Amino acid sequence: MLSSIFEPESVAVIGASNNESKWGGRILKNLLSGFQGKIYPVNPNENIIQGLDSYPSVLDIPGTVELGVIIVPYKYVISIAEECGKKGVKGLVVVSAGFSESGNEGAELELVSIARKYGMRMIGPNTLGIVNERARLNASIIGRLPHPGSISFITQSGSLGLALAEWTIATELGLSKVISTGNKAETDDVDLIEYLSSDPSTGVVAMYIEGIKRGRKFLDAARNIKKPIVAIKTGRSKRGAKAVFSHTGSIAGSDEVYSAAFRQAGILRVDTIDELFDAALAFSCQPLPPGNNVAIFSNGGGASIVAADECEKQGINIADLTEETKEKIKKVIPEFASVSNPIDTAGTVSFKIYNDSIKALHDDPNVDAIIVIYVHTMISNAMPPAEAVVEMKQKCDKETGKKPIIACWMGGMGTEEGVDLLNSGCIPNYPVPERAVKALSALIKHREFLEKVKTGDAKAGKCL
Amino acid sequence: MRILTEHEAKKLLSKYGIPVTKESLAESATEALAIAVQIGTPVAMKISSPDISHKSDVGGVELNVVVGNVKTTYNKIISRIKKVAPDARIEGILVQQMAPPGHELIVGLKKDAQFGHALMFGLGGIFVEVYKDVSFRVVPIEKNEALDMISEIKGYPILKGIRGRKPADIEAIARVLVAVSGMAQKENILELDINPLIVGETGAIAVDARAMIDA
Repeated sequence: MLSSIFEPESVAVIGASNNESKWGGRILKNLLSGFQGKIYPVNPNENIIQGLDSYPSVLDIPGTVELGVIIVPYKYVISIAEECGKKGVKGLVVVSAGFSESGNEGAELELVSIARKYGMRMIGPNTLGIVNERARLNASIIGRLPHPGSISFITQSGSLGLALAEWTIATELGLSKVISTGNKAETDDVDLIEYLSSDPSTGVVAMYIEGIKRGRKFLDAARNIKKPIVAIKTGRSKRGAKAVFSHTGSIAGSDEVYSAAFRQAGILRVDTIDELFDAALAFSCQPLPPGNNVAIFSNGGGASIVAADECEKQGINIADLTEETKEKIKKVIPEFASVSNPIDTAGTVSFKIYNDSIKALHDDPNVDAIIVIYVHTMISNAMPPAEAVVEMKQKCDKETGKKPIIACWMGGMGTEEGVDLLNSGCIPNYPVPERAVKALSALIKHREFLEKVKTGDAKAGKCL
Repeated sequence: MRILTEHEAKKLLSKYGIPVTKESLAESATEALAIAVQIGTPVAMKISSPDISHKSDVGGVELNVVVGNVKTTYNKIISRIKKVAPDARIEGILVQQMAPPGHELIVGLKKDAQFGHALMFGLGGIFVEVYKDVSFRVVPIEKNEALDMISEIKGYPILKGIRGRKPADIEAIARVLVAVSGMAQKENILELDINPLIVGETGAIAVDARAMIDA
């Protein structure tokens, strides 16, 4: 069971080290910094490692071991996996490299057959490890545990995956799991999606994909999961066009087919790393909009026009507000400001302006989603509108149907406090309007997919 | 791996209910004339050889051949091919109904290592060659998906009818897409082009086709 890997009660670190600049030292330290279960360092050359008794072999460990993290030179991996099997270990995370990625397919097959023989699940080899924030489990070389959240991130690339994971932590993006798949020898994307499908702490799956092992099965798993999947698939560039038999053959490169297949399975394919996490963030803390009509509210005309233009590009409709809504907004914004969508307060900012206007927009039956923009100036304060958004969001969610609110606090310096408040209130915030609109577009596309193909619950990840 | 001639490829399409041009393979000038008379002239005449897949590149195609010219055209094409491609095995000349008026489309299949067969749809001619204005699906697909594929291409308004032109028979295109989706696996298709599939106000018909099968 993959739960033995992600939610183990005990972990053995085979190849543990006192030297924290070595992977075996780093991973042990990471485990010690949060994990509450039993941790057993294994290293025949040491008696004590990072303050814990060290064992010469997993077989010498007195208690049961559920997860084994293997960080030893390539030549020892097979025999250590065998020992883990004999010990009754249920899951392996094989960090050691030197297998199929270096041409040693045979050794990798042997490793898989040992795992199967003993009924062990295995991530890797050649993985950077796994993180499960929920279990405070950091069995990886990623610097620290991420902020809690409902995004689970599956990454195939080693170093890029590491950089991305570190970056998500730095940007305080809430994550549930980080899974570096490595060579996907025993556990691949299909298994992981199936596992995350039933994992209550995962609301959305973000994937960095270089290649898929079981194409059709992968599509089935993606189609069946009741959670959004956002993915980057690299390798869009074409290899030199070779002479082919048919027109279709010359145009249908693997990338085009990937795009079509992903779309059919409801996987949202994005082009950039920004888009990957922007969409994942929106999914992780906002509901799906019931329709395609957006209201844009801003204290700056320019920013709202940029947002409206991007909506046009993404096929999102600028909602026609009801007269009632316009009247309500007229009461709080200056006379010379515009009450037609996109709404522009002509520079004025206050808690009441944002509060009452967003409430009015949220109550408008013609509005399915709201983009709230705040452009920072020397004379305005980023906090009151942020407070208004967070408060309104909580209230609106209780009173009426759920509609997503996406924020865009522009201006950097001076907006930090407001942005922090938005983050803690689970309002996805983006530094520029285009990114806010694209994130909303992801929610809309997913809702459209669910309507078309999937049956069942059309809910995005909840705020966790 | 085997490459089907146009005539073989179209027989395969017929088997799956896809309308193809009326045509027959003539092995002599006299036979060509008889076929032409039966189909109704003018006809198209195309070289049929397993070794020639780009027929017009070698002068193997004559269009709008009237009844009085069928026999001479037969001999003309054969002698031309013998000069240009002396090693090509010649099966004869395919005598074929002229394509009806309509929009040129392309429908194709390609076996993908990862996801099975990919189905492609687009407007033919320069639209596919220059603009690559095509849509893809992994098969199998059903009618709704086929209709989505058709509406996805940029040139879709052309099919719906612009500048007062009547709309093309989009349902007929969808039927072809679903049929091609259905034959992909059963016939072990590696690559297939129906190019062009011509769609008019009523009906769509495969005018030329090529296929490579895993056999």
